[in-house]
Amino acid sequence: MTEVNITIEDLANLVPGQATKVIQISGQLDESNVDEKIQQVYKTVEENPKNLNLIFDLENLEYMNSKSIGYLTDLYGKITEAGGKVVIAKARPNILDILQVVGLTQLIQAFDNLEAAKSAISTPAKASA
Amino acid sequence: MENTEVNKNIDPEKTRITITLPTNAYFMSGIRDFTLNMVKNTTSFEEKWAFRFQSVIDELCNNAIEYGSAPGSDIRITFVYAKDDFLEISVEDTGTGKNRINATQLQKLFSDRKAPGYVFTGIRGRGLVKIVGEWSDELKFEDRPSGGMKVTVKKFLKDSRQNTSGISKEKQILLNV
Repeated sequence: MTEVNITIEDLANLVPGQATKVIQISGQLDESNVDEKIQQVYKTVEENPKNLNLIFDLENLEYMNSKSIGYLTDLYGKITEAGGKVVIAKARPNILDILQVVGLTQLIQAFDNLEAAKSAISTPAKASA
Repeated sequence: MENTEVNKNIDPEKTRITITLPTNAYFMSGIRDFTLNMVKNTTSFEEKWAFRFQSVIDELCNNAIEYGSAPGSDIRITFVYAKDDFLEISVEDTGTGKNRINATQLQKLFSDRKAPGYVFTGIRGRGLVKIVGEWSDELKFEDRPSGGMKVTVKKFLKDSRQNTSGISKEKQILLNV
């Protein structure tokens, strides 16, 4: 199995009344490991069924395949439907390139630093006219 | 990885490398590393293309593992680099996979998913159209006479080569059955 590590850190009080987690993924997400490793993230979603915010810190992610992107898309759908937000931070150029080619950056905002990602999470969504 | 063969003797302007590996996703990180280094060190493609070809190979091999070759059989990858012209990559399976499909079926699947308005709803299915399709100039699906399928992608180094040779700038998708 290719090496990949997922750690989940709680960002207490970033948004009052809402849980915010930073998901750090390092290594390579591929066919040999993604089905098993992504379950950690799904478990967090199950434990926080409403208003969960996720920041994916991809600074040390070297590779992701199309199935990993499928899981990210699925997680985005589940979380936003339940009133939460999902953003990406610090992705390497090759990761941003693949996220762009599959169109995921049209759904999920990507930031080059964690502070900007946190700010996007804590800023209330604009009310539509 | 079972076998790697490099042949530069036939045409000095072309490098051909063939790798045969068992049907197991475990080996793909090694293939990705090889692809990245090979493209960076032996071709004139920009670095971003080394990463893109890494993804193209990975997606093609994952498809071959899922649909083409049963565990215990092989997948064969062939790289052909024509100096300052193109890189061509072929992935061949044995047609022994539990979920095997033929070239016509794969072509249809590709065309359906490429159609405007198609929405990807599942976890799987983006790789062939969104990665392999977008990052290649030509894509060819062929049934192999001995069984199985061969998928070939080709990327030209310069877009201008396509214009001067009369090939349409639109992507060429060929189907040989």
